[in-house]
Amino acid sequence: MIENKSFSARFGRLTIYAIVIFLALTCLLPLWNIVAISFSGGDAVASNKVGLTPINTTFEAYKMIMEDSQFWRSFGISIQRVILSLVINMVLIVTMAYPLSKTKREFRGRGIYMNLLIFAMLFNGGMIPTYLVVKNLDMLNTIWALVLPGAVQVFSIILVMNFFIGVPKSLEEAAIMDGANPLQVLIKVYIPISMPALATVALFSIVGNWNDFFSGLIYMTKVTNYPLMTYIQSLTISIEEMLKAGATSSDLANAGEVSNKNLNAAKIVVSCVPLLLIYPMLQKYFITGIVVGSVKE
Amino acid sequence: MFQQPHLKIENGKDPLASTKRKKSKKIVTKEEMFYHSMLLPGMIFLIIFTFVPMFGVIMAFQDYVPAKGIRASEFVGFEHFKYMFSLPDIGKLFRNTIVIAIGKIVLGSLLAIVFAILLNEVRLKLLKKSIQTIVYLPHFLSWVVLASVVVNMFSLDGTINQILAFFGIDKLNFLGSNKLFQPLLIGTDVWKEFGYNSIVYLAALTAIDPGLHEAASIDGANWWKRIWNITLPGMLPIILLLAVLSLPNVLNAGFDQVYNLYSPMVYESGDILDTYVYRVGLMGREYSFGTAVGLFKSVIGIILIISANNAAKKYTDRKLF
Amino acid sequence: MKYKTFCKRAALGLMATSLTLSLAACMDNSSSGDSVTEDGKTIITMGRVTAANSKLPEGDTYENNAYTRLVEEKLDAKIVDQFEAEGDDYNRQVALAIASGELPDMMRVDSREELKELVENDLIADLTEVYDKNASDFIKEVYGTYDNRTLEDATFDEKLMAIPGTIGDSAPNIVWIRKDWMDTLGIKLDADGDRQITLDELESTAKAFVDNDPGSTGNPVGIPFASWLNAGDYGGSGMNMTSIAGVFNAHPRMWLEDSKGNIVNGSTTEETKQALGVMADWFKKGIIDPQFGTRTWDDIMALVTNGQTGIVTGPWHIPDWGLSTVRGMDKNAEFAAYAIEGENGKVNVFHNNPTGQFIVVRKDYEHPELAIKILNLFYDEILNADDLQKDYPEIYKYGELAVDGSTRPFNIEVYKSTNIIDEYKYIQEAVEGKISMEDIPTAGLKIDAKSVMAYQNDPEGAGTSEWAKYHSRMLGMSMIDKFSNEEQFNWTTPVFFGNTPTMEKKGANLLKLEEEDFIKIVTGNKPLDYFDTFVANWKKQGGDEIAAEIKEELANK
Repeated sequence: MIENKSFSARFGRLTIYAIVIFLALTCLLPLWNIVAISFSGGDAVASNKVGLTPINTTFEAYKMIMEDSQFWRSFGISIQRVILSLVINMVLIVTMAYPLSKTKREFRGRGIYMNLLIFAMLFNGGMIPTYLVVKNLDMLNTIWALVLPGAVQVFSIILVMNFFIGVPKSLEEAAIMDGANPLQVLIKVYIPISMPALATVALFSIVGNWNDFFSGLIYMTKVTNYPLMTYIQSLTISIEEMLKAGATSSDLANAGEVSNKNLNAAKIVVSCVPLLLIYPMLQKYFITGIVVGSVKE
Repeated sequence: MFQQPHLKIENGKDPLASTKRKKSKKIVTKEEMFYHSMLLPGMIFLIIFTFVPMFGVIMAFQDYVPAKGIRASEFVGFEHFKYMFSLPDIGKLFRNTIVIAIGKIVLGSLLAIVFAILLNEVRLKLLKKSIQTIVYLPHFLSWVVLASVVVNMFSLDGTINQILAFFGIDKLNFLGSNKLFQPLLIGTDVWKEFGYNSIVYLAALTAIDPGLHEAASIDGANWWKRIWNITLPGMLPIILLLAVLSLPNVLNAGFDQVYNLYSPMVYESGDILDTYVYRVGLMGREYSFGTAVGLFKSVIGIILIISANNAAKKYTDRKLF
Repeated sequence: MKYKTFCKRAALGLMATSLTLSLAACMDNSSSGDSVTEDGKTIITMGRVTAANSKLPEGDTYENNAYTRLVEEKLDAKIVDQFEAEGDDYNRQVALAIASGELPDMMRVDSREELKELVENDLIADLTEVYDKNASDFIKEVYGTYDNRTLEDATFDEKLMAIPGTIGDSAPNIVWIRKDWMDTLGIKLDADGDRQITLDELESTAKAFVDNDPGSTGNPVGIPFASWLNAGDYGGSGMNMTSIAGVFNAHPRMWLEDSKGNIVNGSTTEETKQALGVMADWFKKGIIDPQFGTRTWDDIMALVTNGQTGIVTGPWHIPDWGLSTVRGMDKNAEFAAYAIEGENGKVNVFHNNPTGQFIVVRKDYEHPELAIKILNLFYDEILNADDLQKDYPEIYKYGELAVDGSTRPFNIEVYKSTNIIDEYKYIQEAVEGKISMEDIPTAGLKIDAKSVMAYQNDPEGAGTSEWAKYHSRMLGMSMIDKFSNEEQFNWTTPVFFGNTPTMEKKGANLLKLEEEDFIKIVTGNKPLDYFDTFVANWKKQGGDEIAAEIKEELANK
């Protein structure tokens, strides 16, 4: 890349860096605050005194988490869910985006499928009917209840479909002339070129499944089966809501012990760790499309 | 990868015509068989988990009582919809919902796009990667947690007001003023989501041929000209796609955020459809009413998407899906 | 469109539709599968309400703990949890269970409306006979202390359809004031020692705190209040204006009958207007938190903890969960507790809803009498055990560990209405040396007494929970005991608790109106007379309809 070394270019570059770093800092500081809270003593936290450095540094909160066997059980369930979902999601996304990226002439049913997908993305029967379906399929309290209902990610399919549409026809034609069937064309031509798009939807799948707490609430009838975010959410009771719902004094006292902010902060930090590791791993797929330039026109 | 602007069919002739297969006269060509079977597994899942439960939509037209079940619950037609539109504050609820939602969608996309473009210019790989990771983290914090951070910063004694005081500006009551609450909601949400939203735009940016940029700078184009003529058009299909796909969200102003930040002082500007439905649900288990509102949102959503798709076809000669 | 493509599309469409419909038809409500026995024991499937911090010892779960093992031992019945959840999630699981037609054998139901729904749809068992035959005399006595109102609430058409839980009165809404600050500033309250102060005394104390900043924070705020201002009962009245309303004998949110026999909601009475007038006046004078209305609960607690305010309203037990952090930050902190004297010289309070939640048994369960036997076991036998430590050692240990009550099979309370006073008596007599520790029946009470004595012996060195127990028992409970014995309470009995059809529809909106308008009046956004506009709107937007429905329901009883 030819770099313009003039003063205005340098100044411009500096401004860009400044803006970007500033934005990143605004995101970093609140997280730093939460980390600081997780290492602070309970009373200081309760009086809102903790800023960016811990007060009364203690590992108490993390100790409680490490010793909580359910926390780790839920962690494992979430990991299992994310992996299973990722595989199923990606396979379905890729195999469905490809036919949909064909024109109406090449694939005459395309319109119907597209309409059905859009419809499915916008309408759903609601919590109770979906629950009844899952229950009647005997999937309650199994990992499949967390994975299968979300198997088809329409938004991601549409995204990848658009990327596929942009792949030069010439590449496909070349492969077909070599005798490849559609499946082979998909695997050998489209997938390698669309890595950034695929990395993006893979990230969406991982993140969506990791974060979702609601499925766990309805499909898992016992706390032992909760995925991680559902478990954390069940622990983050708000005293305010308990008061409004009418709780006994011992309920409130017991709840007060675990609903304190520093424990909650620690739980959040621990549950964010996998996310911190995932993105860097996927970033290497966000490469510039070098293949595009290789086709001779 | 998007069709680059200069890949055109020349001389009215399709340069690849000779290699195209003749249109098959069979009912289903061999390729189409493949296509159908590739779509089959996904469609089965959709049918089981999305289409079958749709029978539950009928709850929106019933007085659903869990003990009676769907079969025996009384059919009440459009009563819930009539009730929704006859609420004393329904106009305000709609206005708040739409204003907040559109503000978030427009400004959120804007910041995400700008950020993606700026970040793409950063050369130091390590810096770029770490910034990318940092900015996408706020998306994962729930509003239950972020609310206390926001309140800390924006309350009358909070950091922001302290900074304003330093510049001699009067204290602003972000959390309690009906004039400032909506901007607060929009602003903090944009901050929370811009990093995560920029991921898609970054992916789109990497798909733009760097050769184009090189050619342009050789021709003497400065940075801004390159962005305007190469980067933005290259991103345009994705920008449009995401804009259209977020249209159905025009009635989803963000329950979690509003619920955790609002108070009776700002009900007037902050109460949205979803928070209202939630409070109704607390009084009596109003599953029907919730379903009716959900159905209403879906219908509006599909109308908007289809209109946008048709408009896109009219003006850009290509449907989005 | 070509004919062939049309056929193809139509065929696809039909296939999709018929597949969908046939799958939908497959989904009927199946009945609960396996029933009873398993190596000789009866199985009871249950819906359990859990809590976040159960404090169960390692290895014990909700399904398998000292309580469930007791049931196995004494009643030859094994408890199997069909679902376990807390709070709103539990209610959702109940709705899902009902929707799928598979009720557990026994479960808790939280509102009378849900109970009614189950009764009307013939989903639960009639317990009248099994109750009459099996309930112990003591249990019947307990219900009797509420004039059997709780049993009435669970009765439909003369049939007892559920086991009701009880909620004793926990009035009044106490005002807790930093005693150490009072001492520093030389403020003396309650000259006649009757534990009551007047509104004026409270006002001047608040003003002194704001003017002098005894917490040395540089930013004293005055009395904080929660934005919702009123709650349904005293137990949930933290940071509420209930005590101020009581001065004028106003009872916001309660459904009352006025002198003419009309059904009136306490929030719309002239007395409430007077109370709001006081609040508005105080806000203008700067002795109420200027950020009232936007502060979250956590922030208000932070104000108390870091010393920006020293006056808090709340139930007798607020020191246990709400004020203990203050002690954590400041070893010298202590609170004095007062009730606010009404215009009639007494403390005006209302009875709360005596009925808590309900335990129901599903319709065709083979052993409904087991429900009553569990009731006897936990709320009579264990409560009245001569020597809990010897006869039920595991359960005694749970008391020592403060294991949460939600781990019992039935997560309800069944206590005499005088429970607070009865418990206080034990603690007081032990502290005064009139009885010995051994005479105290439960581990929980023993710990309470020990904590109080530990604090009294060494206030500075005592731990936080001892400090808290001292405040909640010796200042909170004792006040209730004193007022009850000396007849200092002026009781009002609300005529209706629960929901009506219009309340389910319009109740949320009415609450919203009340919360918004009350805040506007207190903060001076609207003048006090705006209250009359509020009342008119409230009545028009559903208040009158609901009042009429309540009147009808009462007439039908």
